[in-house]
Amino acid sequence: MNKKHSPVLAGILSTFIPGLGQFYAGLRYRGVAVLLGMLFTSGIVAWYGKPIWYLAPVLIWLWNIWDAICAARQGRTFSVLLPILFGFVAMFGIGLAVVGVDFSKADINRAIAIMRPMFHPDFIQKRAESNQAWVEVMVPCLPGRSVSGINEENGKKVTITPTCADIGEALTITASGFWPNTDANLWWEDPSGSVKMIGPGEAAMLVAHTDGSGTLTASFKVPTTATIAVPDVTQSPPHRVYLEQTRLLGGFELSYVGGRVLQGALQTIGMALMATALAILLAIPVSFLAARNLMSGNPFTYAIYFIVRTLLNILRSIEPLIIAIVFVVIVGLGPFAGVLALAVHSVAALAKLYSEVIEGIDPGPIEAIRATGANWVQVVRYAVIPQIVPPFTAFTIYRWDINVRSATIIGFVGGGGIGFLLIELIRINNFRGVGALFITIAVIVMLLDYFSAKIRERLV
Amino acid sequence: MLKIENLTKVYPNGTVALKNVSFEVPDGEFLVVIGLSGSGKSTLLRCINRLIEPTEGKVYWDKTDITAASPTELLHIRQHIGMVFQQFNLVRRSSVMTNVLSGRLGYANPWLSLLNIWPEEEKRRAMQALERVGIPDKAYSRADTLSGGQQQRVGIARALMQEPKFILADEPVASLDPVLSHSILQYLEQLNKEGITVICSLHFLDLVHRYATRVVGLKDGLKVFEGTATEIDRAKFKEIYGEEAQEVRATTV
Ligand SMILES: Nc1ncnc2c1ncn2[C@@H]1O[C@H](COP(=O)(O)OP(=O)(O)OP(=O)(O)O)[C@@H](O)[C@H]1O
Ligand SMILES: [Mg+2]
Repeated sequence: MNKKHSPVLAGILSTFIPGLGQFYAGLRYRGVAVLLGMLFTSGIVAWYGKPIWYLAPVLIWLWNIWDAICAARQGRTFSVLLPILFGFVAMFGIGLAVVGVDFSKADINRAIAIMRPMFHPDFIQKRAESNQAWVEVMVPCLPGRSVSGINEENGKKVTITPTCADIGEALTITASGFWPNTDANLWWEDPSGSVKMIGPGEAAMLVAHTDGSGTLTASFKVPTTATIAVPDVTQSPPHRVYLEQTRLLGGFELSYVGGRVLQGALQTIGMALMATALAILLAIPVSFLAARNLMSGNPFTYAIYFIVRTLLNILRSIEPLIIAIVFVVIVGLGPFAGVLALAVHSVAALAKLYSEVIEGIDPGPIEAIRATGANWVQVVRYAVIPQIVPPFTAFTIYRWDINVRSATIIGFVGGGGIGFLLIELIRINNFRGVGALFITIAVIVMLLDYFSAKIRERLV
Repeated sequence: MLKIENLTKVYPNGTVALKNVSFEVPDGEFLVVIGLSGSGKSTLLRCINRLIEPTEGKVYWDKTDITAASPTELLHIRQHIGMVFQQFNLVRRSSVMTNVLSGRLGYANPWLSLLNIWPEEEKRRAMQALERVGIPDKAYSRADTLSGGQQQRVGIARALMQEPKFILADEPVASLDPVLSHSILQYLEQLNKEGITVICSLHFLDLVHRYATRVVGLKDGLKVFEGTATEIDRAKFKEIYGEEAQEVRATTV
């Protein structure tokens, strides 16, 4: 500032070598930074070779000349916002090119087909009871193998004529003893247990209505896809035709998928609990080894401290998801792999937090309790435990909270629980189930957030 | 009678905190230790009950050699030495009652005390101690909800629970305002009149004049003065506190 610098010279210098003008004006670090920034930006732009991006280094270069002039004239400079902005634009461009944002594969119809069922989550259903009966029929007609064509049970009677038929041939079914004036669904089940539709076009359920006395009659054809046992047709067991009426009882109940979602959620919470419990057991002793104030006494213990700390840091930096993949390979698919992965990660995380609590212990009360003539167990009980238990508990609850979230994700790679169920539901295209699952996860996370925050508030 | 002979303390980092300090404290005295910050007052007091191990020298209590006591004997000796601290050193998260009762740990059944179970008699004793220092209504508050003056009274009540033969007080009023300082020191004075020997480090000379029956002055770990408070004239004052020192009064606020 006391020396006079020529703005013109500074400008010229920076024109040829970016940053040199600033360097000349006495702002050495700035000069070096500008040069490095310029080289870096030009480098990455050249690497990716998209011509339009050359704008970024050019703009930085222009700014650099102007900046050098200002620096020389006033001995001080203005914000670096502008070049940072240019650099940012260049970086974003590169990111875009690498990721390859491509909307051409997106299909709006597919998106709607997935989203719509998710807004009707399959969690609860109306409570209903059903009334079912069946009758056997032979396909095809074979000499020496026949069925009665009549089935009676619980006051219901179903008759089918004829008692045998070939594929595509007509059958008539008569049933009595059902609930009156109610729809009944009819379907076909072949000997392998697979269900066939016998409604219009074999694509819908056949529906028949009972009359006032609970009787119905319906005609249909043997479905074309009814499997006839091969290789020996003569040994084919009978096929079945089912009738079923359902009626609402009022109120709601958990649906089948809803039940599985809840079960998965409980399993996930259980996984997190077990992992946290395992982690506490290991983290407490380890945390003492990782506490600087306890271990810095002599070089040997300090070495232990250093090694333990380093190991914990390495362990903590590995995503539990990746640890889970390793454990899935070792112990196989299922919640146990997830529990182990979470436990390993949590030991590292908790031991670090615990050791920081131990490092933060106030020595005053310890001194005071020692002065009363208390033995060392009493000192630990009265001066150490009251200082560490509340923060330990708070950190542990916090960890459990994190573990529940992680356990959800870990299920994805076969670690069991709600995440595993999610993958399964997506695979079978059950998006109503997926919707129910999302709601459950959201509720769990929100509840956990709320309560763990409340409890921690109390403790700290 | 407490007798300190050639006490020397060298910290592991090489700091010599006490050099050959010797003096005697007859029973019933209110001995005040003065000296600049870093002169070794805290170290001296802690060497007496061996919260800090002296490097050399002896501390005798009547016929007992505290410095030679085995770990178990040391616990028995500490039982009878109350200690009060500048930072109060209460267990902040525990109740006042628990803090006061913890003064009784040396006497208590070790197993029950670990469960924080105390006989009714001890609880009554703790209430009495709290009544003596004027805060029986705070018995079940958390210690860290109390004001500084109240916390120091809890500290005194904790020392009282030990039925001490003498009390070590390390700058008991340095964290308190002047008015509170007097009220706390008056409790100590009261105890002293009841026959408990008090060894107390203090910063303010007017407090020294008011409470001390005898004074020991430390400078850089050396004993540079021993006598009554009235014997501290200008020259002695400069010797203890250094040339630039000005006398500050606790009550000139
Ligand atoms: N644990 C320790 N390790 C090393 N040096 C220490 C330790 N504790 C105290 N010292 C040093 O010993 C000397 C005496 O300290 P001490 O705390 O006894 O002084 P003090 O008179 O009580 O001071 P203050 O009035 O500040 O409390 C100081 O130089 C201090 O730095
Ligand atoms: Mg001190």
